[in-house]
Amino acid sequence: MLPPLNYSPHTFSVTGWRARMILLVILVLTVSALLPAVAQPVTESAAARPKRILMLFSESKDVPGNIALEQAVRAEMRKLSPNRLEFFAEHLDASHFSDQAHFQFFKDYLGKKYAGQNLDLIMAFPSRDYTLAGALPDALFPNVPVVFIAVNELDAPYEISKLGVTGIVQRFDIRGTLGLMLHLQPDTRRVVVIGGVTEVDQATLQRIGEAARGAEGVEFDFWTNRPVAEMPAAVSALPAGTAVLLSTVLRDVSGQVYFMSQLAQMLAPPAHVPVYVMGGWVLGSGAVGGSVVDSEDLGARGGQLAWRVLGGIKPEDLPIEVATKGTPMVDWQALKRWRISERRLPADCMVRFRPVTLWEEHRTIILSSLAVFLAQAGTIAGLLAQRKLRRRAETEISRQRTELAHVSRVSTMGQLASALAHELSQPLGAILRNTEAAELFLKNDRPDLVEIRAILADIRKDDQRAGNVIERMRSLLKRRELESNPVDLGELIEETVALAWADASARRVTLTRQVSANLPLVLGDRVHLQQVLLNLILNGLDAVAAGENVERMLVIRAGLGTGGNVEVAACDSGTGIPADKINSLFEPFFTTKPNGLGMGLAISRTLIEAHGGKIWAENNVDRGATFKFTLPAERREP
Amino acid sequence: MKTSASSGTVFVVDDDASFLKSASRLLRAAGYAVQAFESAPAFLGQLTPETSGCVVTDLQMPGFTGLELQAALVRSDNPLPIVFLSAQGDIPTTVKAMRQGAEDFLTKLSPKEKLLEAVNRALARNAHERTQREELHELRERFATLSPREREVLGHVVRGRMNKEIADELGINLRTVKLHRTNLTRRLQVHSVAELTRLVEAVGLFKPESAA
Repeated sequence: MLPPLNYSPHTFSVTGWRARMILLVILVLTVSALLPAVAQPVTESAAARPKRILMLFSESKDVPGNIALEQAVRAEMRKLSPNRLEFFAEHLDASHFSDQAHFQFFKDYLGKKYAGQNLDLIMAFPSRDYTLAGALPDALFPNVPVVFIAVNELDAPYEISKLGVTGIVQRFDIRGTLGLMLHLQPDTRRVVVIGGVTEVDQATLQRIGEAARGAEGVEFDFWTNRPVAEMPAAVSALPAGTAVLLSTVLRDVSGQVYFMSQLAQMLAPPAHVPVYVMGGWVLGSGAVGGSVVDSEDLGARGGQLAWRVLGGIKPEDLPIEVATKGTPMVDWQALKRWRISERRLPADCMVRFRPVTLWEEHRTIILSSLAVFLAQAGTIAGLLAQRKLRRRAETEISRQRTELAHVSRVSTMGQLASALAHELSQPLGAILRNTEAAELFLKNDRPDLVEIRAILADIRKDDQRAGNVIERMRSLLKRRELESNPVDLGELIEETVALAWADASARRVTLTRQVSANLPLVLGDRVHLQQVLLNLILNGLDAVAAGENVERMLVIRAGLGTGGNVEVAACDSGTGIPADKINSLFEPFFTTKPNGLGMGLAISRTLIEAHGGKIWAENNVDRGATFKFTLPAERREP
Repeated sequence: MKTSASSGTVFVVDDDASFLKSASRLLRAAGYAVQAFESAPAFLGQLTPETSGCVVTDLQMPGFTGLELQAALVRSDNPLPIVFLSAQGDIPTTVKAMRQGAEDFLTKLSPKEKLLEAVNRALARNAHERTQREELHELRERFATLSPREREVLGHVVRGRMNKEIADELGINLRTVKLHRTNLTRRLQVHSVAELTRLVEAVGLFKPESAA
């Protein structure tokens, strides 16, 4: 909507001032409008900063149970969180520095260290009391929610949940462990319980005592009044039928601090009897196992709880969970040591430290995969081999058959050469005579064009006839595969007899045919069947020509044979077949003729059998022989 | 094309209708009188002693082959010369055909010149043989006029006997012998003993063996 700009240099200087003023105003307005929009991403990026979680441990950082637990918590939370999480970990190490000054120092340290860190969550792992989950964070980070995971027998104080604290109190599964012990070693008569003297230790021992009352016929012996240092020797002297259950020894009578895994490492190897424990992280020390606290499982549950709190759920709305059920878990090496059969293990019992082979770990998968693979491979290999063999056999058979059929046809053609020469000479001769006649007609002053036209028509006709003869020869000579088509044998016999007729008449043999009316069709290869017929006819002519019979005849018969077969017979009045030769007639290279190849009947048999038929020879009662073959009649559609 | 020597009809016999037609057409165009037959029996059925000409036939025919036709002709009282036109012929068949007096043995693909030459030869031969046969016939008729005694005398004359010897042999006098000789030379229209002897041989009377 601006007016058209005037580009004249004169007016430019005048309007220049105004334009600059307007531009300046627009610029100022624009920048002021943009400022909040520019500031917005800054606050958003502050909101998207990683969540900061401070993990507070009562014990030193090298306590195996806590290490496993911490890893599991972090892993679970990272799994759940789409954003990056920042973890800080601090260890009070109360077992070694239990005085108040140390606690104050630790508290001050935390306060100063994390003052500006905008913590989102505090996770506490208390072992002796719940100060770490309650008073301490409440004093230092009053607005930061707290989630704790406590593995001991102390109840969380009721008021702790009012401080924005929730958590999991994981009890030792004492009954489960005792149950597993008695299950694995039913002959256990005595259980030695090794525990400590702290309040926590006493609480645990008390609960063991309660559980022991349920175990009938088993004597419980609580070893709490002697230093742990003496224990290895003591346990090595325990008699059979005894089992050791390790309780917590946060401090023994001599004031020494022991963690469960330390204790187990000290006592399980020298023990003369199996040692049972209640913490999953203790396994590997030589202890048999127990219904243990599974660090991974507990860590995952703790991580989930922490995630919910991070997500905005107030801790006070999430009740403190008290869990008792443990995870049955044993050490495979220890089972071996104590000759405890794996078959005794409960179905849900985890076995650790088994030298796991791929086979053991994935036996089912391997077995089933292997089975499937083998079955498939076997099937495939079988099919391939079968196919290959069959292909090879088929190719070989087909090749041989084609080869033989070709050889046979070529030799048959040799025998038929006279007949075919005759067949070709007729039309060619006619063409020659007609051409010569036409030449003569053209010599006349007034050629008879009508006659010449008739001659040309006749020449064309004979030319076609000669072509047909050649085509027939070609199809007879061609190497070809076996085809399967409905064949009218009567027609085929007629055609074949016509083909051989000249040969027959030259040898002064009366060649006739007798074909039943309504002869069913057969399925087969016309050329090959014709070859068989020709072969039998030429053989028959040879047989008759060789003899000096008065009656010189060859009859080709076709009719219905037994079993729905069509039977074709070539019956000659020749010399017959010597009785000792009649069985070898169809063998390859068997011949009675001086110039015979001995392949004709062999090939005929191959061809007839390829058609699902049979071929044989028999001597006639009076004279001569009859060659017969059968072919299955085609089943006509109703 | 047609020579003066050739007269009579060419009888073409072939079961192949197409070839029969073309061969007949050629021979007709070449100036011959032609009759075509699709089988040997059809031809033989209309053959008379008076028929003149020659036969051109295929060798291989259903039922009645060329060789059989030849044999039938040879046996007949009108043995027309025969020219074989074969689609193919083996040596034994050819030899047999020629021995039986075939004029020629040609293939169906032989050139026209060979065929026409063969037909001309066959017709000429037929004409010649016909003449011979007619002369013989006439001669035989002349011999038939002789009386028994004149034949007796003739038999002795052609064997070179003297009149005296004949008179002694027959128990008649010399004058009677001379009279018989005069009569038979007049009836047979011969002028010398040599001519008489030739005629007797032609007719086939008094074979030396039979007289011995």
